[in-house]
Amino acid sequence: MTTAKKILANGIPEQEAIDRAKQGDAECFEALYGLHKRRVYSLCLRMVGNTAEAEDLTQEAFLQLFRKIATFRGESAFSTWLHRLAVNVVLMHLRKKGLPEVSLEETLEPQNEDGPRKDIGARDNALVGAIDRVNLERSIESLPPGYRIIFVLHDVEGYEHNEIAEMMGCSIGNSKSQLHKARMKLRDLLKLSQAERAAKR
Amino acid sequence: MTCAEFQKVLPYIIDGGGSAEEQQHLATCQVCSDLIADLRYIAEAAKLLVPMEDPSPRVWTGIQESLEREGMVKPARKHV
Repeated sequence: MTTAKKILANGIPEQEAIDRAKQGDAECFEALYGLHKRRVYSLCLRMVGNTAEAEDLTQEAFLQLFRKIATFRGESAFSTWLHRLAVNVVLMHLRKKGLPEVSLEETLEPQNEDGPRKDIGARDNALVGAIDRVNLERSIESLPPGYRIIFVLHDVEGYEHNEIAEMMGCSIGNSKSQLHKARMKLRDLLKLSQAERAAKR
Repeated sequence: MTCAEFQKVLPYIIDGGGSAEEQQHLATCQVCSDLIADLRYIAEAAKLLVPMEDPSPRVWTGIQESLEREGMVKPARKHV
């Protein structure tokens, strides 16, 4: 946990806002929302790839947070606790929807003839230095949902495989292999967009 | 060791480890070392993605309405 005090927009230290929110202080609910809304919304948006759904999930995550805030004992940082809660809200939602399974073939089969070469043993242009943020965001968005979730949790949000395995109810090995497939798919998408941009020049 | 064999174990050794034989393949195979460089670069670039957008005001309005409906809020007091 960080020792620096976080000061909320209305000048209240975060710890005080948490304590007062536990007592039902409306101003502190709003201040905590203001401090954390962007990160939680961004997590939801990257995981589901849809603005309206991400907003509904952000709302649900904060409501659950406020309902449970009295049980927050400070063993972990408040933000860690909140983000974990938000991930669980999103995963629960996706399970209800029936999280689409991603097949192995989907990663290994070329998407079309213009796509990057998939032959093992063939070299093509390196990506290093060639990814910009907008392109990466767009490519993550077009990943199949199963891959997108594991990639966002591990590579964007920084969760470890053991944490992901626990959240997703899978083995650590499965989390590692799914992440690898997700990165491979992303690499294909990025190379495809790199080739398209080169063709336009 | 062939590239196919190496790439089969890659998901489990990309963050470190790997047998001497795997390390040897990586040291001598340009294709597999390019692949690893790409995958690590993607992971590094992802770490730099920061939250960019705020949710629309309707989200807070919805939260506020639910909090009031559920009787979870007391009137705000002035902070001193």
